[in-house]
Amino acid sequence: MQDISLHLLDIIENSVRAQAKNIKVRVVRNVHLNRLRIIVEDDGVGMDSHTIEMAQNPFYTSKEEREKKVGLGIPLFKQNAELSDGCFKMASEPGFGTVLTVDFKLDHIDRMPLGNLKDTLLGAIIGHPEVDFNINLTTKEKGVEQSFHFDTAAIKEELGGIPLTYPDVIEYIDQSLFEGIQNTNMEDV
Amino acid sequence: MKTLADLKKIREKAQEEMKLRGGNTRIKIVVGMGTSGIAMGAREVMKTFLEEIANRNLTDVLVTQTGEKGLSSMEPVVDLIEEGKPKVTYGNMTPEKVKKVVVEHIVNGRTVSDYVVATGN
Repeated sequence: MQDISLHLLDIIENSVRAQAKNIKVRVVRNVHLNRLRIIVEDDGVGMDSHTIEMAQNPFYTSKEEREKKVGLGIPLFKQNAELSDGCFKMASEPGFGTVLTVDFKLDHIDRMPLGNLKDTLLGAIIGHPEVDFNINLTTKEKGVEQSFHFDTAAIKEELGGIPLTYPDVIEYIDQSLFEGIQNTNMEDV
Repeated sequence: MKTLADLKKIREKAQEEMKLRGGNTRIKIVVGMGTSGIAMGAREVMKTFLEEIANRNLTDVLVTQTGEKGLSSMEPVVDLIEEGKPKVTYGNMTPEKVKKVVVEHIVNGRTVSDYVVATGN
C-alpha cells in the first residue's frame, strides 16, 4: 500500500465483510499534538480477544476458502503506523462491532502520505449502498478547529429509491467530499 | 456548497427519467476490493467506472465493491453481470482498460475479449 487512504479502504472492506450496517470514519489531523489519527468504528459481528490477536498475524485469515492462509491487510497497516512512531489499536466485542484506532506521528519522515481520501470514500460509499457511512474529518491547526461531517443515511433518505450510482448523485457525493477535504486542509497531508 | 436541496432536484429529475424508460438495471459492475486488489490499483479502477458513468450519463448501470475471490495474480478484477448472459470477468484492469470496457462492452454491447480472464460462474 502506498498511502494511508488505501489502508483505510482495506479496513472499510473488512467492516463490510463483518456485516456492518453502519461504519463511522474519523480522520483527525492535530498539528498541536503532531498526530494524524484514523478511527474506524463498525457495528459488524465483532471479534473475540483471540481473533483480535490473530488478525494482527500475517499468517492468519478469516477467509475459509483460501488455500494459502495469509492476511496482510491489518499487519501491514500496523507496521506502517509503528514505523512512524505511531500506534495501532483494535478493540472489539463479539456481536457489537469493532473499533480500530491508528495513530501516525504527523511530521515523521517515514509517515506515509494520507493520499486520495476522496476516491477512497467515494468508492466505499457508492460501492456499498447497503451500508450507512458517517464521516468526520477534523483539522486542528494554529488554534483553529475545522470539521467536515458527511452522513450518507440522510442522503439516501432524500433520494428515495434513486440509486447512488445515478450520474448526478455520483457528482454530488464527489463534489461534497472534495469541498469537505479542502475545507479541512486534508488534500495534501 | 452542496446541500440536501440539490438532492431533491436530482431525485425529481431521476424519477422523471425512470417513468420514461423504467427503473431497470441493465448491467451490474462488481469491482474486487480485497487487499491485493487495492494494492494493485482497484480504487482507481472503481473511480474510473464512476467517472465514466457520470460523464456518459449511464443511468441503467450499477457499481458495487466486493472482497477478493482467489484471482489475486490478476488483480484488479472486475465482473460484468448482465441479465440472461454469462458473467464476464475482466482482469489486470487499469483506468485505460476501464474506459475501453465502458465504451465497448457497456455502451456497444461487445465483450473486450483481450481483457477477459474468466466467463460464466
